[in-house]
Amino acid sequence: MVGGGTGRRVGGRLVLGVPALLAVLLLVLPLLALLLRTDWSRLLADLATPTVWTALRLSLTTTSCTAALCLLLGTPLAWLLARSDHPGTRWLRALLTVPLVLPPVVGGVALLLTWGRNGILGGALSAFGIQIPFTTVAVVLAETFVSLPFYVLAVEGAMRGLDPRLEAVARTLGASELRYLRTVGLPLVLPGIASGLALAWARALGEFGATITFAGNFPGRTQTLPLLVYVELERDPQVATSISILLLAISVVVLGALRGRWLR
Amino acid sequence: MTSTRSTLTGLDARVRLRRGAIDIDVSLRAGAGEVVAVLGPNGSGKTTTVLALAGVLPLEGGHVRVGDELWEEVGRRRTPQERHVGLMLADSLLFPHLRAVDNVAYGPRSRGLPKGESRTRALDELDRVGLSALVHARPRELSSGQAARVALARALATRPSLLLLDEPLAALDPDTRARTRSDLAARLTAYDGVTVLVTHDPLDALTLADRLVFVEDGRVTQTGTPADVLREPRSAYAGTVVGLNLYAAHGDSHGHVAIEGGGVLVTTDPTEGRVWATVPPGAVSLHRHEPEGSARNAWPLRITDVTLQGQSARVGLAGELTLTAEVTLESVSALALHVGQAVWASVKATEVRTYPR
Repeated sequence: MVGGGTGRRVGGRLVLGVPALLAVLLLVLPLLALLLRTDWSRLLADLATPTVWTALRLSLTTTSCTAALCLLLGTPLAWLLARSDHPGTRWLRALLTVPLVLPPVVGGVALLLTWGRNGILGGALSAFGIQIPFTTVAVVLAETFVSLPFYVLAVEGAMRGLDPRLEAVARTLGASELRYLRTVGLPLVLPGIASGLALAWARALGEFGATITFAGNFPGRTQTLPLLVYVELERDPQVATSISILLLAISVVVLGALRGRWLR
Repeated sequence: MTSTRSTLTGLDARVRLRRGAIDIDVSLRAGAGEVVAVLGPNGSGKTTTVLALAGVLPLEGGHVRVGDELWEEVGRRRTPQERHVGLMLADSLLFPHLRAVDNVAYGPRSRGLPKGESRTRALDELDRVGLSALVHARPRELSSGQAARVALARALATRPSLLLLDEPLAALDPDTRARTRSDLAARLTAYDGVTVLVTHDPLDALTLADRLVFVEDGRVTQTGTPADVLREPRSAYAGTVVGLNLYAAHGDSHGHVAIEGGGVLVTTDPTEGRVWATVPPGAVSLHRHEPEGSARNAWPLRITDVTLQGQSARVGLAGELTLTAEVTLESVSALALHVGQAVWASVKATEVRTYPR
C-alpha cells in the first residue's frame, strides 16, 4: 500500500515533470544556442560598425517615443476603461486587444491602408504634403500599434485593483477627480505603469512585421535592429548573431533593472 | 482657527434610493453636536444611506439638508467635495503611500488651505487623537487602532458639519476596540457637528450615541434614546441588540398575552390589544422536569444552541415559542445542558413586561 502510494507519486511527478522539462528546454535551448554560436572575439568588431550604430540609435529613439506615447495616451485610456461600468466598455476593451493577437504583417497592411497615400487618413495628409509611410514616424506608429494594447491592459488591471472607496474618501475630503488621480490613483498604480511600460517597450524593441510592411527597411530612417538582423542573416550570419546578442543584452538589462525596482 | 464651514447646524435628511434588491427610505434628524447611531442587520441599507449622505451615491428621492444649506434634493445635487462632510469607513482606508500627517493634511490641502496651515491643522488633529508621536509613520507601520484614529483625524481635519462613521471599530480586535471606542467617545464629545454612526455593535451604539435609529430592510423600525430602546425595543432586531426576548403579541385585561406565531405568556403587567412583550433572558429558569410552584409560565422546549459568555451561558430554546435563557455555568453542568436536549423553561409572571405596539 505504501509502495503503491510512492509509485503513484513518482508517476505523478513524471506526468507533470516531463512536459515541464520539455517546456524549459524549448525556451532555453535557443537562447543557449545564441550564446554558444556567438563568436565572442568578433563581437565588438561586428557591432562597432556605422550600420549597427545607426540601427541601434534608431531602435532606441523609436522605442522611447513609443513608450512616451503609451504613457501619454495609454494611461488616460486605461483610467477611463478601469472606471467605466458602461456595457460598451467590454466591447471596446475586446477591440483594443485585437492588435495583440493580429499577425504583425497584417497590422502593417492595416497601417498602410490608414496612413498610406490612398489610405483613409493618408489621402488627406498627402494633400498637405505630409507622407507617413516609410518614414521614422511610421516606425513609431507601427511600434505603438503593437505595444499600446500591452500597456493599456497592464495599467488598467492595476487601476482596477484600486479600492473605489479610497476615491469616495478623497472626494469627501475635497479632491476633484483629477486631484485624486494625481495624488492617490497614479502613485498607487506606479508599479503597474512601470511593468506596463516595460512590456510595451520590449514588444516595441522586437517589432519586425508591421515595421517592415508599413515603414520599409531603409538604413538610418526605418531600419531598426530587428530589421538589420534580418538583412545581415542573408549577408553575414555571424554579424546577425552578434546583433542578436546585443538585442538580448539590452532587453535583459532594462527588464532586470525594472524588475528590481518595480516588477515582482 | 480657520473654519471652512459657514454655520454650526443640524441634519435633516430623507434618503430614498434603490440599491440591488433593497428599497431604502430612511429619515434622519439630529441637532448640532449630537451622535445618531444607525443600527441594523447586514444588508439593511445602512452603508448605502451613509454613502448617499456623503454624496457618493445620488438620491432617487428625498433630501439632505444641513442647517441652512441644501446639499441635495432630486435634480439638485452637491458633489462630495461641495459638502462639508467627513467620512470614515471600517478598515480606515488611509492613503497607503502618504505618512500619517499627510493623510490628515490631504483634506485641508484639497480644500485650498496653504501647505503650512494644512500641516499645522493635521498635527493638531493628530494630537487630539493622541498620535503626536506617530505623525511621520506610514500606514503600514500603524496598528489597526492607530490607523482608525488617523482616519478619524483625517475625517475631522476639514472641519465637517456632518461626520459619517461607517462601522469605525468593526475591523479592530476586541482589546483595541474597547480603547479606541473610548478615544472616539472623547473626540466626539469635543466635536460640534452632527455625527452619524453606523454600527451593528450594541456597545458602540449605547456608549457613543445620543439617539438610535434602527434600520431594517431599508426602513426605520424604531428611533429613540438608548434608554428608550433598552426599555421598550420595538423590533425583533432591536430586541436582539438590547438582549431581550421580544414578542409581537396580543394582550387582554387578565394578563394573558397571545404571541403571534404561537405560545401564550402570563403577565402581571397587562396591556390590552396589540402589544410588545419582553422577557429578560436572566429571568428564565431551566428544569429537567415540569416545575411546580409559583412560575405561571412554563413550557417544554428543546435546546437549539448554547454559547458561553464569561460566567454565564446563553441557551437558545425552541418549541411552542422561541426563547433565550441566560443561566449560570453551574446550571449548565448541573443540568448537563446540550443541544437537542428537552428541558422545561419557566418565567415568573412578574418578569413579563408588555407595552403597546
